[in-house]
Amino acid sequence: MISFVGFSLKRAWLGFWRNSVMSLAATATMIFMLVLLSGFFVILTGLNAGLQFVEQKVQIVADVRKTAPDLAIMSLRDRTAALPEVASIEYVDPTEALRRFRERLAQQGREDLTQYLDSNPLPGSIEVKLKDPHVFGNVVQFLRADPAVERVQEVQTLIDRVLTVTNLLRTGGLVVLGLVGIVVLFIIINTIRLAVVARAEEIEIMRLVGASDAFIRWPFIFEGALVGLLGAMITLGLMALAADPLGRVMTGFFEVLPLQLGSLGRDLTVLVLGTGVGLGVVGSWVSVRSYLLK
Amino acid sequence: MTQAPPRAAARSYRERPVGLAQTDAAVDGAVLVLHSVTKTYPNGNTALRDVELVVPEGDFVFLVGPSGAGKSTLIKLLIRDEVATDGAVILDGQDVARLTRRQIPRIRRKIGIIFQDFKLLPTKTVWENVAFALEVTGTPRRQIAPAVDRVLSLVGLAAQAQQLPSQLSGGEQQRTAIARALVHDPRLVIADEPTGNLDPLISWEIIQLLLRINGLGVTVLMATHNAEIVTALRKRVVALEDGRIIRDEIGAAYHRED
Repeated sequence: MISFVGFSLKRAWLGFWRNSVMSLAATATMIFMLVLLSGFFVILTGLNAGLQFVEQKVQIVADVRKTAPDLAIMSLRDRTAALPEVASIEYVDPTEALRRFRERLAQQGREDLTQYLDSNPLPGSIEVKLKDPHVFGNVVQFLRADPAVERVQEVQTLIDRVLTVTNLLRTGGLVVLGLVGIVVLFIIINTIRLAVVARAEEIEIMRLVGASDAFIRWPFIFEGALVGLLGAMITLGLMALAADPLGRVMTGFFEVLPLQLGSLGRDLTVLVLGTGVGLGVVGSWVSVRSYLLK
Repeated sequence: MTQAPPRAAARSYRERPVGLAQTDAAVDGAVLVLHSVTKTYPNGNTALRDVELVVPEGDFVFLVGPSGAGKSTLIKLLIRDEVATDGAVILDGQDVARLTRRQIPRIRRKIGIIFQDFKLLPTKTVWENVAFALEVTGTPRRQIAPAVDRVLSLVGLAAQAQQLPSQLSGGEQQRTAIARALVHDPRLVIADEPTGNLDPLISWEIIQLLLRINGLGVTVLMATHNAEIVTALRKRVVALEDGRIIRDEIGAAYHRED
């Protein structure tokens, strides 16, 4: 068994270098395709992070009755915060609400008429941010049922619209990534197939002298894996080199959004290595299979 | 070198006095038995019809016939590259149609096969080409070198062991292929037009080598168009035409002599 694996690995290595032109062509194709795939993956991740940020902006606002005692409001705030759907909660008291209102007017350059008021007409409000903007019904109902709440601002339409747009963009992104993935799959499998076809004579001789299927198949599979591994490592090297200058350009754009890209590097490594080696193996398997089935 | 053995009248194989042909005893001792073999390809072409053939151990058989007569199909059936539509192909006591996928490589190691175009790997030396047949069948490393050296000296290529096929003459390339065919100690050597690409003198050299191998007890089945060689040697001749065996004679010539 060990000698079989050793034999297959040795043959894979020799096969790779004896047909160096085909092998390098396959590796180069692999690199181009993996770079393309990673590019789309990075863009999709950025898009997702941006969409998530937009979705988090959606919040439920419940105005509280002016007559409601502070204690009841605090209790409501705490009970709402304990709901499983709630990400964060903030109570904006009437004073704060008035201050924000004035600020907004000032920003828009309009005259502040509130200074002529005897008292603050604005209600206090509870602002709820949700863990998942899709799930808001429970929270809205819960707030509406509370006697301290005057009204819950109608958020359904807004949430629906935002989600429609973000879902569309997300699905679109996934579809594009899927299409790119399929193209990459076919191109890589085809390239490896060419490399195998170039060695059809070798396979034929192996069959004629009585080599078992495993002895024919595994060297090619290891060779495919080698092409994939080499392609993936070069791709990751290129990405690492590009990450710094690209990152600097992108920071200006992404600074506005508090994006969480911490796991991107890890995801990308897994994606590129997995796709490269996986496609190398699958491509070889499929290509050799057609010779073995004769 | 080209003198033919003394001419003897050809006898039909089936009338052999020892009665080897269709008896069970013959079938038991035969390396190869084809019983009412028919091969029809998926496109409807029938390449072989009702072929009966018994090849006893140690025989030397010429398989002759025009192109398209079914010689190649017959060879493909023997190495289990194709499966007979009807009838049985029995090699060394095993019905090749009943072999599992795992058993097919094993039966192929009992056959050494030689082609017109040699089928050598151009990037490997003579020695490596022969050793390749053992490596890919999982032969332990320490058994490979002695076996390769032995067959290379048998075919007279010990001195050329480290050369690439491109550095060899056609005859030497074919001898490399023969060495590769012999390295598994096969029961049967199948030669498919082995002299097709060689000039007459070299062709005789290859035939002499095959005869020597046959002298060592290996059964040889050689498909050929080379009338001169077949007629000169007066061996058993099986003639195929249109997928049928039209002649099976011992001590025969390439063409029918009536």
